[in-house]
Amino acid sequence: MKWSLDLLKGKWLKHPLHPIVVHVPVAMWPSALIFDLLSQWQIGGNAMVRLSFYAIIFGLVASLLAVPTGVLDWSGIKKEKPAWKIGLYHMMLNLIAVLLFAINFGLRMQDFRDATTVARIPLGLSFIGTALLIGSAYLGGRMTYTYGISVARMSKAKWRKIAEAGGANLPPE
Amino acid sequence: MLKDFLEGTPLRHPLHPMLVHFPIGLFLLSLLLDLASLAFPSVPNLVRDSFYAMLLGVITALIATVPGFVDYTDIRSDHPAKRTATAHLTLNLIVVALYGINLGVRSSSLVDPKISFGPLILSFVGVALLSLSGYLGGRLVYDDGISVGRHKRRTPTPESTLRLSATNVANDGDLAFVPIPEADRLGERETLRVEIDGQVITIAKIDQDFYAFQEFCTHRFGPLSEGDFQGFSVQCPWHKSCFDVRTGKVTQGPAKVDLKSFKVETRDGKICVCVQCGTGEST
Repeated sequence: MKWSLDLLKGKWLKHPLHPIVVHVPVAMWPSALIFDLLSQWQIGGNAMVRLSFYAIIFGLVASLLAVPTGVLDWSGIKKEKPAWKIGLYHMMLNLIAVLLFAINFGLRMQDFRDATTVARIPLGLSFIGTALLIGSAYLGGRMTYTYGISVARMSKAKWRKIAEAGGANLPPE
Repeated sequence: MLKDFLEGTPLRHPLHPMLVHFPIGLFLLSLLLDLASLAFPSVPNLVRDSFYAMLLGVITALIATVPGFVDYTDIRSDHPAKRTATAHLTLNLIVVALYGINLGVRSSSLVDPKISFGPLILSFVGVALLSLSGYLGGRLVYDDGISVGRHKRRTPTPESTLRLSATNVANDGDLAFVPIPEADRLGERETLRVEIDGQVITIAKIDQDFYAFQEFCTHRFGPLSEGDFQGFSVQCPWHKSCFDVRTGKVTQGPAKVDLKSFKVETRDGKICVCVQCGTGEST
């Protein structure tokens, strides 16, 4: 049990896993919107419709790993910290975005093989899903760059050594 | 102004790590589509789609290069992460060049049902180098806190560490008075990072006065010379611990242990930090 948690936290990699995995959905879903719009403007035709479909699937597959790693990182934050609440919003927005792109995927399954443009409802879902995802990814980034979540978590020993060599007062180990 | 924008200060989030999601995701997608074209040659447009994904990847990679380079120049030249950052930068430039070649090689055969050997190998090498480089970039943030809390700082951060010694300076038998050569050029709320016989100290100018305290936060050892100053308080860029610059006392956690602080005096018109003779200990 513990080994599987460590696996998901990325200890073996010396790098948290969630921010690595999320590159896929964060890149895929806004790109899917771009491909949708290109097909709408008669650029690329069916190749664009297919490419958008593949991008949506790839994002969904990566979400299967992004969600549990994210929930686990979040569960390590103390509830009284401001980052906990931001993490909660981040998680809820992401779950909605995943759901919207799952529906989006379902709606496209019928006709992506032949269509040369994307229908209005899946296009709208790409818009809303991308907007939510960008907002949510921004909150996730703020957790790292403003609140320092996961920062110096795995390098604590290295920095302690550097601080010790630099003559600093240190906390008890 | 332009530098602030490229560092993402108005957004309170660095731009480079936002933008790099796109090349990383799209180059991976492109490789998957290449492999799919080998597995399912009857599916139309896979080779063409791989090309489009790669093209958007190269465009977004070039955009990400600009703020990435600005972030790189902002890392202190003697920072232990500078070498990692140089490797990250070099690898990324190689990756972009490889994908530029890859696009050129495959552009003439977009109607093929299967991807050919040359561009496929280029994609494999590209993804391998990019994974390594992306990993190094992540380590810069999660190990070394590069650009973490940077947007809170309003003044420039030290470009390098001043290395000084407490030997051969004036002393009263107990305390050595180490002159800080660049202190009189320091602006309000600016800092110097100095190392006196191994002891690493932040010198900050606040309200025309100078304060000296240990460089490393007592929580996870974040760099206080890159901290944000509010009144007489310095906030660690990493996890927001606050200390009183006059006494070194913790005023806000997560840190629990006070900083070492050092007296600053003017002697013979020079701004000097007082350290214990020989040892570099605090006063």
